[in-house]
Amino acid sequence: MGLEKLLGDGALATRVSALVNWARGNALWPMPFGTACCAIEMMATLSSRFDMSRFGSEVIRFSPRQADLMIVSGRISIKMMPVLLKIWEQMPEPKWCISMGACASSGGVFDTYTLIQGVDQFIPVDVYIPGCPPRPENLIDGVRKIQEIVSKEKLSDTRHGS
Amino acid sequence: MKSTDPVVTRFKERFGDEILSVEEFRGQVAISVKAGRSMEMLRALRDDAECPFDVLTDLTAVDYLRLDHPERFAVVYQLYSLLRNERLRVKAYVSEARCEIESVNALWADANWLEREVWDLYGIRFLNHPDLRRILMPDNYTGHPLRKDYPLKGRGERSNFPKYTVEEPS
Repeated sequence: MGLEKLLGDGALATRVSALVNWARGNALWPMPFGTACCAIEMMATLSSRFDMSRFGSEVIRFSPRQADLMIVSGRISIKMMPVLLKIWEQMPEPKWCISMGACASSGGVFDTYTLIQGVDQFIPVDVYIPGCPPRPENLIDGVRKIQEIVSKEKLSDTRHGS
Repeated sequence: MKSTDPVVTRFKERFGDEILSVEEFRGQVAISVKAGRSMEMLRALRDDAECPFDVLTDLTAVDYLRLDHPERFAVVYQLYSLLRNERLRVKAYVSEARCEIESVNALWADANWLEREVWDLYGIRFLNHPDLRRILMPDNYTGHPLRKDYPLKGRGERSNFPKYTVEEPS
C-alpha cells in the first residue's frame, strides 16, 4: 500500500471493520455445549493432535459471558433446551453458533418424544457440521466457515435481533 | 441357585397363595408374585435367617402390553445375598387399573431413585415413598413414555415445552 510509505513506520491504513473482523475472527472464544459423543470429537479438536489453537479458537470459556462462539455438540433434550437458551442469551454480542453433528442439527437418529429436532428451531445457527460424530477436521472446517462469516461483518450490523 | 434351594422352599411354604410361578432358567431363579403383599414377602427375603438378600441390585419394571401375562405391568426386584453369594429375581405383577405397589424404600434405601425412575417412565405409583417425583423427564411432563402404548414421537412435547424467555429491562 502506498499510504504507509508517506506515513512512515508507525501507521497502518485499513478499514476499522477489516481490523476488528480480523481480530474477532482469529480469536473466537468458544462456549462448549457438549452433551454427547460430538463433545469427545470437540475435545480432540482442541487438544494437541488437531490443535484448534492454530486457528485462534482454543480458549474454551466455561463462562458464557466471556465467549462469542457457541458450539452445540450433542443431543439436546427438551429438559436441556431451556438451559441452552439461557446460556445463549447470556453470551454477549456479537456471537455465532455452530451446530455440530447430526443430533444438534436435526435430531439425528433420535426421532423420539424427548429430543429437540434441530436446535435451529430455537437459536440462530450460522454453520451446520454434518457427521455422526464429525471428525475434528470437519469442526476445524466449521470454525473456518465462521471466520469467513465474521470477515464479512459490518460494524453497524446488529446480530440476532437485539 | 436352584429353584429347590431351601430359601425358595421356605418362601413357597410361607406365601403359597401369593406366588404365581417359580421359574429356573440357566441357574437363575425368578419368582412371580401378586403385588398385594409384596412388602411382606420382600421383607421375609431380606431378613431370611440363612440366605438374607441384603442387597437390592436393581429395581425396574416391564410393560407386558398385549402379551400373555397375569397382569400388564411387572415390577422386577433383583436381589443379592452377600452372605451366600446368591441372586434372586422377584417379579410383582401390577394391574393397569390399580397401578400401584408398596415402596421398598424402607427395606433398601437405594430403591428411592429406582422407584422414582419406574414412576417417571411407567407410571406405577409407589405407596409410602418418601419423595415420589419424576427423576428423568422434566417436572411438568405429562405421561409415562416407556409404556408400550406411548407414541414414540411423543404427544407434542417436543414443541410444547416451557422455553426460557428474556426479560428485557424496562
